[in-house]
Amino acid sequence: MIDDMQNIIFGLVTGSILAIASVGLSMIRQTEGFINIAHGQLLTLGAFLGYTFVSALDMNIFLAGLLSMLLVGIVGVVLAVIVFRPVARSGPLAQLFTSIGLAYLLFGVMRVIFGANVTFFPTSFGTRLDLGPVNVTVGEILIVVTAAAVVAALALFLSQTRLGTWIRATASNPELARLRGIPVNRVSHAVWFVASALAGLAGVMVGLIGNVHSELGWTQTLIILAAAVLGGLGSIYGVLASGLLLGLAMDLSALVIPTSYRTVVAFGVLILGLLLRPQGLFVSAGRREA
Amino acid sequence: MSGVLLFFVGVITLAGIYAILAMILNLEAGWAGMWDLGLAGLVAVGGYVFIITTQQTHEDVILTPHWPMWAGILAGSVAGGLAALIIGVPSLRVRGEYFLITTLAFAEVIRQLSINLGSVTRGTVGFNQFSRPFESWATGAGYRWLLLALVWLVVVVVYLLMRRLGYSPYGRLLRGFRDNDPVARSLGKHTNRHRIQTFVLAGLLYGAVAPLYVWFIRTVTPSLFTSEVTFVTWTALVIGGIASLRGPVIGALILLLVTEAASLVQGSGEMAVVLASVRFIVLGIVLILVMRFRPEGLTNERDAFAGASGKG
Repeated sequence: MIDDMQNIIFGLVTGSILAIASVGLSMIRQTEGFINIAHGQLLTLGAFLGYTFVSALDMNIFLAGLLSMLLVGIVGVVLAVIVFRPVARSGPLAQLFTSIGLAYLLFGVMRVIFGANVTFFPTSFGTRLDLGPVNVTVGEILIVVTAAAVVAALALFLSQTRLGTWIRATASNPELARLRGIPVNRVSHAVWFVASALAGLAGVMVGLIGNVHSELGWTQTLIILAAAVLGGLGSIYGVLASGLLLGLAMDLSALVIPTSYRTVVAFGVLILGLLLRPQGLFVSAGRREA
Repeated sequence: MSGVLLFFVGVITLAGIYAILAMILNLEAGWAGMWDLGLAGLVAVGGYVFIITTQQTHEDVILTPHWPMWAGILAGSVAGGLAALIIGVPSLRVRGEYFLITTLAFAEVIRQLSINLGSVTRGTVGFNQFSRPFESWATGAGYRWLLLALVWLVVVVVYLLMRRLGYSPYGRLLRGFRDNDPVARSLGKHTNRHRIQTFVLAGLLYGAVAPLYVWFIRTVTPSLFTSEVTFVTWTALVIGGIASLRGPVIGALILLLVTEAASLVQGSGEMAVVLASVRFIVLGIVLILVMRFRPEGLTNERDAFAGASGKG
């Protein structure tokens, strides 16, 4: 019973990180029209940048996280303009494979710059706090709280600001949005910035609870894709919820089967979800096909 | 000198293996419109079933039937087809990019299972001692030439098979429902049944050719069947020209020559990591540039099937 509670905590932490990583992927899918396989590599970039700031420059972890987030966001916008804009009219297959190419390019470049070794954040969040049935570290609480704050900020941004309204309009009907005079370039830049910055933040968090290494992007991409598809891609709240759900499923499964099956569980949930509700768990309308 | 020559023999052999995979991918993705990102999983099933049923040296696993090689290839092929059926039925409920991600997920599940089911697959250690066909005919460097010939013989056979399929009414039907599913259905074609059939056929073929890959690499471990196999095959296909006939072969040759050329430069320590990474950078740049400047690839479908409906 105590183990159950403990695993729920772990699941919450994993799920929070997964949720903010997946929501960016789904935003790009909705406004740009393709699945960005390189999303996971941006997450790795965030982890490496955060690690470098903390270990080499001796920076405070919060400052390092914020800075990594901003930098990855800017990198995302630059990549969108240089790499993705020119193929925007070539169709989803060209865009998808451009993103796979970019993923390999980023992966290779990061291995040259940061090396192929596994490293750990030197940051320590102190000993585990004993909270009756469970114990948590301050870091884990901070991750969940930060993720919740980021989600709340994102929701406010999308619902209360003009740019946010434009983004939602573009997501639900890109052609109509263009016709109505919404500045599509600005919307596109904003989406790339927000999505990439969220990936960067998720990267720092993944690095904090685990380790930092160059393969991080590939392993995370698969789980992020699973969460995004399970949530139905279209609905931001659906994707958030399924990110949390997958995180909980992976860590709670550790109670019954070996932890090495975590990813198998994630994909099992995805496959089950597609079988039972092909339109996405939290979507009422049909899926929009590519 | 002979070292460089043998290196290129290896590259051309690997290019041949990828040409075969790309031709099979072309059948399911190029013609039938099923964007499969899980082919590495089907190759893994074929490779593992082949090695488990035929290997003689590793006795520490619970399943050692010691079958002859031809039976192993057959078993690998059947297993590949069966896996495709199991994957295809749920995955084909969704289309386009959802299909793509579901197949990617299945391939990863297969890979994770190959890591975790150690009593059958020897986990991450895998199999590294097994005999290869015709080993009595040639040894050492000679065997590399033999494998090269064997692989390219299969390339020719698969090419002829695909040519036949592509020009046949069945091939026309695949391309027809890829482009317009409702019309094909209105003509009384059971398009979903044909999709499953084609996917299973692709699985049978992936399973059957997986031993070539195993013989070339000379080990069977889970790290051989990562999504890199899938992405390299896809890159070869899109470089050569998706849905064309010769495209997959041309694309595989170009891609492998370009990416493996980086391994010719020798380096040690720190440099080795950099050089290993250069392969990925080259692969990425090639893919980005092809998508930007030649999104239809080097050859195209229209030329490949010009006059197909008339004289043939």
